[in-house]
Amino acid sequence: MSELDILFYILSSMSVLFGALVVLTSSPIYSSLYLVMSMLSVAGIFMTLNAPFIAGIQIIVYAGAVLVLFVMVLMLFDLKRETKAFTKGRFSGFLKLVGAGLLCGFIAGAAYESVSLIMATSEEIPTNIAAAAETGFSPTTNSIKEISKLLFTKYLFAFEVLGLLLLVVPIGAVALSRVAGGTHAKH
Amino acid sequence: MGSDVFEISVNFVKMVAIFLLMVNLVPMLVWVERRGSAFIQNRFGPNRVGPLGLIQLAADAIKFLFKEEFIPPKGNKALFLIAPIIALIPGAIAFGSIPLSVPIEISAFEMFGSQWGPYVFPFQSFEIGIGIVFVLGVSSLGAYSMLLAGFGSANKYSLYGALRASAQMISYELAMGLAIVGILIVYGTFDFAEMIAAQQGPLSIPLFEADHVVNKILGILPNWGVFYQPVGFILLFVSVFAETNRLPFDLPEAESELVAGYHTEYGGIKMNMFYIGEYGHMMVASALIAVFYFGGYSLGTTLDTILVEGTIVPNMSALFASLLNLFGSGWEQSTNLINVVRAFVFHGIFMAKILLFLWIFVWVRWTLPRFRYDQLMDLGWKTMLPWALANTIITAFLMLFLR
Repeated sequence: MSELDILFYILSSMSVLFGALVVLTSSPIYSSLYLVMSMLSVAGIFMTLNAPFIAGIQIIVYAGAVLVLFVMVLMLFDLKRETKAFTKGRFSGFLKLVGAGLLCGFIAGAAYESVSLIMATSEEIPTNIAAAAETGFSPTTNSIKEISKLLFTKYLFAFEVLGLLLLVVPIGAVALSRVAGGTHAKH
Repeated sequence: MGSDVFEISVNFVKMVAIFLLMVNLVPMLVWVERRGSAFIQNRFGPNRVGPLGLIQLAADAIKFLFKEEFIPPKGNKALFLIAPIIALIPGAIAFGSIPLSVPIEISAFEMFGSQWGPYVFPFQSFEIGIGIVFVLGVSSLGAYSMLLAGFGSANKYSLYGALRASAQMISYELAMGLAIVGILIVYGTFDFAEMIAAQQGPLSIPLFEADHVVNKILGILPNWGVFYQPVGFILLFVSVFAETNRLPFDLPEAESELVAGYHTEYGGIKMNMFYIGEYGHMMVASALIAVFYFGGYSLGTTLDTILVEGTIVPNMSALFASLLNLFGSGWEQSTNLINVVRAFVFHGIFMAKILLFLWIFVWVRWTLPRFRYDQLMDLGWKTMLPWALANTIITAFLMLFLR
């Protein structure tokens, strides 16, 4: 076991632990702070997987921007009524059942999918790397240039559609704030 | 960290030394801030304890350490205690990943009866391939310390300060990021050392041929990024003031409205740690400005050639070797010693640039009045963001046509 393996086990157990704490704590502030820790551990895993650029983007976008906004907004809320509403009642019970079912499904699916990977012998694994090389991506070379080439040639459509999706979100937020009852309503 | 004992121990010492360099600059900066503010406002400043008031720093540090610890009883104790620690981390990690000088090349040598192979030691705590992305990511985590301090204190003024701080940091990060995109397009790299290498030589604008009259006249200037990205430089320079929460953008701690903002409830060494974090951010920002726009650790080609090929560095290393011989024998002039001394000379140049920008931070703080909050947001979103976008687009088109 090399030091990279040890680092991987530490970081992955950290991310799983903090991910569990996100859903297990009842205070939303603590939840979002645990989510930050989980994101940072995932960034560390990217770093051990020889993808420092993805790790940096993970830190900038998720830990540095999105979750700062989460924490900031959550501080302004007084969530006593909502906490009460979501601990009892038929609707929240239904949501909990759906959530638990989805989680079990995801875990079962992930376990089923990874059986072949765990059982694979060492001769079979290099074929995966060869398959990855066919997409034109090689992690050993200058990864930023490779990623940007792929983004602006092969995956251009998906990239632009995702950008459009993100543009829809602020427009929708502005539109919602202007309807009756919103924070910037005219009447 | 390294392949053998020597490399690992040198890397470890380097890591600790650069952290200590950052932390130990803080009291000096506090002194500069107090004396500088007094100089600007025509006062004396601290001048009683020691020469020029320099021992005042030690007195302040001792006072900070021995102050009574106070935790607000209705606050959130865990978050209140963890916030000052988080304040210290981003600045320290980001400063460690910036190369502070040329890498030191050590050829094979003999010590303690065994052969030690050739090494290359970069002059930074740790090398990370993505340079600027890492620095931006880590320093954007600084917002958490203010948020947690404001929330954990259970104080309305603290909460207001924390909200202002995070809103301001997120708003100005956009302009800062776009200003840096301009410089990334010009150099085509994320790596600090490559950026500095691209700024060597005399200034020559690609619009004209290399021996054109304009380029001959401009050739007396160094090939620094500020001549290619003047708008980007101004944008980055303004937005780092907002990112470090310094005046004219120190709305988070505006003492006339919010007592002391997010650190109202803090005292003693905990408040001091917020200060160290703030000064760490300032050092990172100054280092970034120096690397992007002012040639990093180089002084322009002519002076660099004098340092690399002239007799100054060998003479200095000979002097250094003879000084070492006073304590023990066996030291002599060698290429390794010359390389080490040269790296430290370039490090001195870089630190001089960083200190110059730190002085400008102090100067601006005690010269300009504070913005109002809506003015701050207008400046960030309605003025700086469009200028930064225009700068990025024009730079991209120019680079496309000039290639």
